[in-house]
Amino acid sequence: MNTIKDFFKTFLLFELLKGMALTGRYMFARKITVQFPEEKTPQGFRFRGLHAQRRYESGEERCIGCKLCEAVCPALAIKIAVAEREDGTRRTTQYDIDLTKCIFCGFCEESCPVDAIVETRVFEYHGENRGDLYYTKPMLLAVGDKHEAQIARDRAADSKYR
Amino acid sequence: MSFFDVVFYLFAAITVMAGMGVVLARNPVHAALFLVLAFCSCAGIWMLLEAEFLAITLILVYVGAVMVLFLFVVMMLDLNLVKLREGFWRWFPFGALIAGLMVFEMVWVLGSRQTADVTTAVVHAADYSNTKELGRLLYTQYVYPFEIAAVILLVAMVAAIALTLRRRQGVKTQNISEQVKAKKADRLRIVKMKSEPKQS
Amino acid sequence: MMEWLQPIQTLLGPAWLPIWTVLKIVLIIAPLMGGVAYLTLAERKVIGWMQIRIGPNRVGYFGLLQPLADGLKLFMKEIIIPSGANKFLFILAPIMTLMPALAAWAVVPFNAELVLSNVNAGLLYILAMTSLGVYGVIIAGWASNSKYAFLGCLRSAAQIVSYEIAMGFALVCVLMAAQSLNLGDIVRAQHGNYGMLNWYIIPLFPVFLVYLISGVAETNRAPFDVAEGESEIVAGFHVEYSGMAFALFFLGEYANMILIAFLTSIMFLGGWLSPVPFLPDSIVWMFAKVAFVLFLFLWFRATFPRYRYDQLMRLGWKIFIPISLLWVVVVGAWMQTSYWLW
Repeated sequence: MNTIKDFFKTFLLFELLKGMALTGRYMFARKITVQFPEEKTPQGFRFRGLHAQRRYESGEERCIGCKLCEAVCPALAIKIAVAEREDGTRRTTQYDIDLTKCIFCGFCEESCPVDAIVETRVFEYHGENRGDLYYTKPMLLAVGDKHEAQIARDRAADSKYR
Repeated sequence: MSFFDVVFYLFAAITVMAGMGVVLARNPVHAALFLVLAFCSCAGIWMLLEAEFLAITLILVYVGAVMVLFLFVVMMLDLNLVKLREGFWRWFPFGALIAGLMVFEMVWVLGSRQTADVTTAVVHAADYSNTKELGRLLYTQYVYPFEIAAVILLVAMVAAIALTLRRRQGVKTQNISEQVKAKKADRLRIVKMKSEPKQS
Repeated sequence: MMEWLQPIQTLLGPAWLPIWTVLKIVLIIAPLMGGVAYLTLAERKVIGWMQIRIGPNRVGYFGLLQPLADGLKLFMKEIIIPSGANKFLFILAPIMTLMPALAAWAVVPFNAELVLSNVNAGLLYILAMTSLGVYGVIIAGWASNSKYAFLGCLRSAAQIVSYEIAMGFALVCVLMAAQSLNLGDIVRAQHGNYGMLNWYIIPLFPVFLVYLISGVAETNRAPFDVAEGESEIVAGFHVEYSGMAFALFFLGEYANMILIAFLTSIMFLGGWLSPVPFLPDSIVWMFAKVAFVLFLFLWFRATFPRYRYDQLMRLGWKIFIPISLLWVVVVGAWMQTSYWLW
């Protein structure tokens, strides 16, 4: 009896029809496409996008050139050179992040003792030439200056968990 | 010269040139493609004779199936053309003799009195179906030759399969019918159980 | 029926017949090409919907200009001829794919009067033309001078040739039932007092399935698209093609799809006949049936995973050919009894 049932099921393509019923149902389901430039998916405060260097309220740059981020970076995307400034503080003379190497793991941000290097929510950036995505210190500082308010809010929201 | 003649000579010229191409082409694949062209233009000529069933069957069977398999084989063979050409001049007189003989025979047959007066195709009414006539003839007058030919072909096919069929021992192959037959119930057991408290 | 054309006819004299024929051909091919273009859009839309996406909607309202944009893009691209390729055959191959796909339309009837050429052996003609399509594939693979294209061409040519046999036997059942090779007569033979119940899909249901599935395989469509296999291999026989030459392969594939849909509706779904007795027969039914079959094609693609090549060959040779052969015998015996109602 079962054999006969299976025979008819096979030859009437029962299982194929079941599959088609499924896709047929989904044809009328609510679509989940996000129309990107107009609509965006929500972002969390820990979103890891473009890097930025922060400053204190006084305008002094936070980075003290400890090179922890360079050491921890798994993709070897960070390059730092350090020298003593006239006022005797230790500062970076070069702080480059190669965004084409970076894997956006967030380790640099975590390792930073002074919250100098952070990752912002910016993810729609691009370069038109080779080397455009090689971010130098002034570029990173500029990103930080531009998005400081958002960065500070995100750090405040995350502070409970750190 | 009527339009009909123009079309006939066009097809005939293409057929002859394609036939020459089959023989003269250096590359065997080109030769096979020339043969396809020859078949197609032959079908055109048959079409002019109102033998549409034969013309279309020529394309369907020879061009659509036989030549495709032929091309398959020719394309996959690693032919050494130089070696094949070696004996050309040695065998040339023999080939020329056969070709001359065939030309002579054809002229003889086509030039003889029985066929000489059949120079134009028989024109039929518009509702005349060549297919129907052929079928009627094949299944009444020529039913035995037809069936015998079919059986001979079947025997050849079965023999070819039987000659190449061998079951090798110790070869790991998939049994597809077995795979297709597999059902969810054969492979998967769904066990109902209570959720356990978290181990700490 | 074309009285209003009379003055033009007398004006042109003997040149009228060729001009009128060419005009009729254009009247078939132009909407066909439009149909092909919008079938690509429909495909992307339908598959998108079935995958809970929206599908193309940026170019023009509802994405309606997308096919034009795609065509323009392909038109502007360079046709690259690989080094060592046979130039003549390389260019000939896409033409050989598209040509039979278009030539077959000569005998397809759209309704009782609308047919370019009412040939008695119409069905045979269509079979012959579709069997020529495989040459485009073979020549493309061979002329590309690339081993990938060549392997791809062997695979898809073997597939096309295998499924053609099952398809041919399925059509033998139809022509036995209709007792005619003329496509118009086949539709007329399905005319009756019971609408849908007179169609050949009822007595010939197994071969209808065989024909439909073989049609999908014959046009190299999913789930039989091992020739293209975009998620596993880049492409088969047309891997070396670019630009408009590549587009011709696609035009051929979609034109073949539409052709198969037309043939399915003519031979199994009653062509232009109305499904219910109280509605008049009209060309609208024809297009509705064709649209339904084409939708099935897209539905298949959205639903089924790709066949493995050996399974595909097994299905063609060991299942479809025996089933259709068996049904030829069954139909033959059935027609001799008094229970044959069609």
